[in-house]
Amino acid sequence: MGLVKAKIRKTKTGSGASDDMVGLSAALQAADPAERRSAARRLGSTTGCEAALLDRLAFEHEASVREMLVLSLMQLGTQDAVRGLAEHLRSEDASLRNAVVEALEAMPDAVAPNIELLLADHDPDVRIFACNLLVGLAHPDVPKWLSHVLENDSHVNVCAAAVDALTEIGRPDCVPALRACARRFPEEPFLSFAIDVAIARAAEQ
Amino acid sequence: MTNALPTPSAAEAGARRFTWPGTRVLVVDDAITIRLFCRQILEKAGFEVIEAINGLEGLEQLLQGTIDLIVVDVNMQKMDGYEMLREVRRQPVLSAIPAVMMSTKSKPEDVDKAYAAGANYYLFKPIRPEPFLACVRLLTATVQ
Repeated sequence: MGLVKAKIRKTKTGSGASDDMVGLSAALQAADPAERRSAARRLGSTTGCEAALLDRLAFEHEASVREMLVLSLMQLGTQDAVRGLAEHLRSEDASLRNAVVEALEAMPDAVAPNIELLLADHDPDVRIFACNLLVGLAHPDVPKWLSHVLENDSHVNVCAAAVDALTEIGRPDCVPALRACARRFPEEPFLSFAIDVAIARAAEQ
Repeated sequence: MTNALPTPSAAEAGARRFTWPGTRVLVVDDAITIRLFCRQILEKAGFEVIEAINGLEGLEQLLQGTIDLIVVDVNMQKMDGYEMLREVRRQPVLSAIPAVMMSTKSKPEDVDKAYAAGANYYLFKPIRPEPFLACVRLLTATVQ
C-alpha cells in the first residue's frame, strides 16, 4: 500500500500537483531552513520540479537542506536532474561538488548517457571530477571511458586523474591504454610513476 | 606550467641538502598515486612520511603527533585543503606548521585562495621531484 501511495505521489501531474509545486517551490525560498528542507523533501516526489530544486541548490548553504535537495534530485532520477547536478561540478564550493559526485555515483544508469559529454567538457577541472566520479560508478563501461581519456585527452592532469581511477579499481584490460598514455607524456615523471603503479595494481587483479 | 612562486634555486636547495633525522611530513591527498609519489621522493631524501586521504583525516594525524610540514591537495572529499589549512591556522598548537598546497588549479585566484587559507607555498600539479623536494627542504629548514 505504501508503495502504491508513493507511486501515485511520484506521478502526480494534475492541477493539484501543479498548485503543490508552485507552493513548494516558493517554500524553497523560506527563511526557515526546516521549511526549506520540508519543501525540498516533498518536491522529490513530484515530477517536473527539477529546475526549482536545482535553482535552490545553487544558493543553499544550510547543510541539511542541501542534502535534502540532492536527495530529492536523486529520487527524481531524471536526465534533467542528472544534468543539473552535473553542472554543479563547476562549483567552487567543494562541499557542494563532493555532494554532487556522491549523488551521481549512486545513479549509474541515469548518469551513464552523460559521461562522454562530461569527459569532453572544455574545462579540465570538470573532466578531472568526471574521472573521480568513475571510481565509484558501478557501470560496465567505466574501463572503456577511462581508456578513452588515457588515449585521447590532451591535459596531463586529466590523464593523471584517469590513471588514479584505474589504480583504485584495477583493470588489466586497460593496461594498453595506460601504456599509450605513458608514451604520450614521456616528460612527466609523476605520470610515468603513476602509470607504473596502476599497471602493477592491474597485474594483482 | 610554472610554479606560482619562484622555484628555489639549485644553490638554495643544495645549501639545505642536509635533512634533519626524523623530520615528519604529512601528505594529504585523496589520490593514491600522488601519495605514493610524494612518499617515494621524500623517503629517498630521508624524510619520514605520514599519509592522510582527506583534510579531516589530516587534522586527526596532526593532532596525534609531531608533524614538521604539511603537503596538502586542494580538492578532496569530506574536508578540502583550504578548509583544512584554515583549521590548522586557527589552532594554536598547529598554526606554526608550514604547509605546501598542491593542485591542478592554476588560475591566479586559486593561488590567492591557497595563500589566504594559510599555505606557505603553492605547487601546480603534476608535481616534479626537484622543485617539490627543494620546497620541502626550504620549509623544513626554516622550522628547525
